Amino acid sequence: MDIVVDNLSQVFGDSSHQVVALDRVSHRFPSQRFSCILGPSGCGKSTMIQIVGGIEPFTGGSVTIGGQDQAGQPLGSHSVMMWQHLNLFPWRTVIDNVAFGLEMQGVGKSERYEKATRLLASVGLRGFERHRPPQLSGGMRQRVALARALIMERPIMLMDEPFGALDAQTKIVMQEELARIYERSKMTVLFVTHAIDEAILLGDEVVVMTARPGRIKEVIKVDLPRPRSQDMVNTPEFGRLYDRALHLIREEVLSSMRQQEEMAG
Amino acid sequence: MSGGGKSGNRVTAALYWLAPYLVIAAFLLVWELTVRIRDIPPIYLPAPSAIVKYLIEMTLDGSMPYHLSITFLRIMAGFLVAGFFGILVGIAMGMSALIARIVDPWIAALYPLPKISLIPLLIIWLGTGESYKIVISAVTAFFPVAISTFAAIRQVDSGLMKAAKDLGANARQVQFNVVIPAALPGIFSGLQLGMGVTIIMIVAAEMIGGTSDSGMGYLLIHAGQVLETEKVFAGLIVLAIFGAVITYGQKRIDRLIAPWAHRDH
Repeated sequence: MDIVVDNLSQVFGDSSHQVVALDRVSHRFPSQRFSCILGPSGCGKSTMIQIVGGIEPFTGGSVTIGGQDQAGQPLGSHSVMMWQHLNLFPWRTVIDNVAFGLEMQGVGKSERYEKATRLLASVGLRGFERHRPPQLSGGMRQRVALARALIMERPIMLMDEPFGALDAQTKIVMQEELARIYERSKMTVLFVTHAIDEAILLGDEVVVMTARPGRIKEVIKVDLPRPRSQDMVNTPEFGRLYDRALHLIREEVLSSMRQQEEMAG
Repeated sequence: MSGGGKSGNRVTAALYWLAPYLVIAAFLLVWELTVRIRDIPPIYLPAPSAIVKYLIEMTLDGSMPYHLSITFLRIMAGFLVAGFFGILVGIAMGMSALIARIVDPWIAALYPLPKISLIPLLIIWLGTGESYKIVISAVTAFFPVAISTFAAIRQVDSGLMKAAKDLGANARQVQFNVVIPAALPGIFSGLQLGMGVTIIMIVAAEMIGGTSDSGMGYLLIHAGQVLETEKVFAGLIVLAIFGAVITYGQKRIDRLIAPWAHRDH
């Protein structure tokens, strides 16, 4: 299921004070591929995947998923989002968080619990079904959120900096687990991040975005073999890709700092 | 030396734990001694020992349990009415902008009005019987409950609502599975405020109205009129303990129903 954004624009605010979050962005995210969207803070990368997920409306251009224009479609049925702040329901137990989507569809309790239990085991949370999210560590909460998204079995997974708040060690483990889950599945993944190494380690392509207004600066193809693992960080190929992305991002971060200085001055 | 330090710590810890009780004991002792040494007439200030004597007498002859239980029943009646309508109106306001708009001027006008000023009117309409006491306390408690419920619903994290929608929940499912559970802790704090003013208004209502002949308010005002100061103090002590027990009970229920809202569960 290819995702095509064509001349996609998002303008916030009224006519007197406009903020252009996305400026005529066009790109084809290939079906069943892992696309990372990399850019400085405020470049509209989260906005873009929220639009693709039907969570936010947009002001210009079009989004086509699997050949179908999304304008006027019941939004969001192709994709599921894993949120930056996870948005787990603290009053629900872990298993009721994971089974939430099935519960809303009217799936019976035994069936949805069976499925949720299986998924929780597959992300390493066997035995934590009856806990509540606030009782879990950051990494465990990430796994709950991942399982809650995976249970929907939607062809597109949207991920908005899901590992941003994790410590370095937990992050490495989660990245490898996500790579394994992706490699076994047939999902199309759009993964927003501002970490260059994460983008290269996980992605088949890295879409580098410009500072505000958000445009696509360059698309870097990542030909590292799969399955991916943390060891690849030390290969010359990884280093070459990293340098390329770093160079692009550095330009954008500097330009966004200049913008902020001009606004302040 | 280190042993001395440890036992020193233990003494400090014991002192820390005992300090509030020691201060209470010292306060009572000074009170008792002052009354005895200066020979203060009990009409002005009875000694703690005399108050305790009265407290025991009034408990054994059944008058204190009688008045307390009557007051308790009235409080519960007023609280239930206020809680029911307060939550109902608060939720309706939180879920419908139109209802919020319609109700808002009424709340803005009536909330700052001292409810005690309604007593003459209510006595004209309802007499000084049970209905007047319950209505005055319910009207007073309605406002904090309704306002807290409304605020709690309005402050629900929009990220949770977006996540639920993304997982396939329809508008009604979002309200019942996300908004109301997320607002529960806020609704409970409104109920606690409501309980506080219900106690105040019931006791005040029991004090006013010539035909009143029961309840802690009647006991206090009657004992005061015949200068039985010991009974006044005994009544105050019982009311203070009663209030503390109700507050504690409410917190326990709150923790039972909304355990996720508390850190230490």
